[in-house]
Amino acid sequence: MHESPASDVTDSDAQRAQELFQSSQTFLMRMPDIRVMRMRMAAGAIVLLLLYALVPLLNIAGKVPDYKVNILGQYLCYAIVALGVDLIWGYTGLLSLCQALFFALGAYAMAMHLSLPEGGGQYKIPQFMEFAYYGHGGQLPAFWQPFRHFGFALFAGIAIPGIFATLFGFLILRSRVRGVYFSIITQALAAATWLLMCRNEMLLGGTNGLTNFYRPMTADRRWIISLYLLTLTVLVLAYLFCRSIVKSRLGRVLVAIRDKETRLYFAGYKPYAFKVFALAVGGMLAGIGGMLYSPQTGIITPQQMNVEESILMVVMVALGGRGRLWGAVCGAILFRAARSSLTSDFSGAWLLVEGLIAVVVVLFFSDGFSGLWLSMERQITAGQSVLRASVTIIPLIAVCLFLATEALGLTPRFLQVDPAHPQGIAPKYYVLVAILIAVGVFHRLNSKVTNKRALIASASSVTANAEPSLEAAGIKGGS
Amino acid sequence: MLAPAIDLPMVSTPMVALKDVTVSFDGFRALNISAFSVAHNELRVVIGPNGAGKTTLCDVISGKTRVTAGKVYVDGVDVTHLPDVEIARIGVGRKFQTPTVFDSLTVYENMELALPGRRNVWRNLLGRESPKQRADIMQILNRVHLLREFSTPAKYLSHGQRQWLEISMLIIADPRLLLVDEPAAGLTDKETELTAQLLLELKGAHTLIVIEHDMDFVRRLNSRITVLNEGQVLAEGDMDEVQRHPDVIEAYLGR
Repeated sequence: MHESPASDVTDSDAQRAQELFQSSQTFLMRMPDIRVMRMRMAAGAIVLLLLYALVPLLNIAGKVPDYKVNILGQYLCYAIVALGVDLIWGYTGLLSLCQALFFALGAYAMAMHLSLPEGGGQYKIPQFMEFAYYGHGGQLPAFWQPFRHFGFALFAGIAIPGIFATLFGFLILRSRVRGVYFSIITQALAAATWLLMCRNEMLLGGTNGLTNFYRPMTADRRWIISLYLLTLTVLVLAYLFCRSIVKSRLGRVLVAIRDKETRLYFAGYKPYAFKVFALAVGGMLAGIGGMLYSPQTGIITPQQMNVEESILMVVMVALGGRGRLWGAVCGAILFRAARSSLTSDFSGAWLLVEGLIAVVVVLFFSDGFSGLWLSMERQITAGQSVLRASVTIIPLIAVCLFLATEALGLTPRFLQVDPAHPQGIAPKYYVLVAILIAVGVFHRLNSKVTNKRALIASASSVTANAEPSLEAAGIKGGS
Repeated sequence: MLAPAIDLPMVSTPMVALKDVTVSFDGFRALNISAFSVAHNELRVVIGPNGAGKTTLCDVISGKTRVTAGKVYVDGVDVTHLPDVEIARIGVGRKFQTPTVFDSLTVYENMELALPGRRNVWRNLLGRESPKQRADIMQILNRVHLLREFSTPAKYLSHGQRQWLEISMLIIADPRLLLVDEPAAGLTDKETELTAQLLLELKGAHTLIVIEHDMDFVRRLNSRITVLNEGQVLAEGDMDEVQRHPDVIEAYLGR
């Protein structure tokens, strides 16, 4: 009588359960439908093709100016950072407000190398050190010495943010500091280190930062395209890396921490170790993003690591959709594109728009932009035709197209600012507002439809539960 | 008459033992137990009116609440000041009063996290469950009628399904001591019967402390009962003894 809990389940039942399990592996990977899979692969292929082939080709053909490719490369750096933010905030639920610090640590490491003769600099030491008030008689400080080697700079750009994040996480998270208190501490850290970096005594250029890298990395087309392609490749690799984390059991522990951390204690898990891991990976990704960022901008200043920058990194993930890696990447690129476009056209209005984005996303788009794609997937899974369901993502495509043409400088002339009236609002912004309103309406309508479907589905599963479940499962598996 | 050569219950260490335990919340005595012990592989039911300290008893054993005074032993190990995670690693599993599962994870993923072993970062990053473990999970889910829902996020489950999922997570984790807080709350009669069966099957190889209000369910478990009232042990014995106990009758019916 006293056998294993499932003693009365016969072998054939068990075998059937196993078969059902095997046939449903795709469910476990959260790939609900073959058509959804194809849509995802197609979308991924199109985006990769556009970024890898079309952008460099258009550039070589002279349609896209060099500086636009350069700026696009910078957006991609932020996308790498966003992957880390999503891992920390989207999956683990830790709202870290110091990612810009890790970003800057990586950026400074690379900038230090580039300021030295070995990194292409003309002067023996960076120019700022020659000024009298630094109190250095034209000598390179000791901690600058190892940055003569490219390999060391590369290592430091990943290791310093990683070690910093690990130590910080270990000290804070071990004592079970949670929620908003964690965010406040990270923000304080970001503010403190920002103040520190602004000091001239740090010998890192003070508020002016590091610049004058001499190599024509922001001017020469070959440099620009290779840096752009390098950033893109690193982004793809970082995405695959994060994906493998998220798909592993560890990814599930991270989500469990977000859901109900206290429950994990009683299952024998120590959540802080997992949180520190997420922070360390996020910090290293931010460092890598920073290392690619400083050569592409040609300057790095403490302005890149102030508190506002850190908050923006969270907002861009929220815009794309937290808890989904590709959503974070999209959010980062869209947000940065919108930012550079708006700051150049109405420099005063950007902060307003930024606040508006944050509020609108929190109130109406808790799923972010990627939520639109997901509701399309749900519709397909619920049995709708691909064509009907893809109507859902038209706003998403529209916004992406708008910002892509804007980012590449391909916006038609008649939508641009009329040179005769430079104070007026360019027609393209009316188009943008129209698109945004359409996004809102579409989202509302679709969420209503999908909610109804989800209700029906859950109701049917409850009634079905009354009957012996294996039988029902067998029928379901057979049909 | 010859006395038995070995007095077994005296010699072997009990699975759980509380000695002179008091728990006070701001001066209110939630628990005041001079001695309470549960033998290995015993199923003990703890009953008592609301506020009797039943859940506090579980909290004390699992390390969620600290004792104000006294000692708590699990299998002879002093766990009075051990962190909750360490107590869980000794082999104390717990089901909470309100079903507590991970909402965003699917039923299967919830079960996966409860699998024994593999609690550190690297083994979670690289390891995957063995085919044997998969089959075990599917069998238990089949048992509790959750096989169809195995890829459903836990937030879409009904209350009863969540209860079962949490119990299933306990079963797959295979702890030595199970603290089961109100497993039958909010279940239909049919569901309650299955829950009772599951607990009785565990009885042979595990130690269980079950807290319950539903007297039919308690009768079905047919085990030794401890009655708590106002934080104190009022009576201990089987169902009939407890029901005839004057103090118990007074606590439940009197005043």
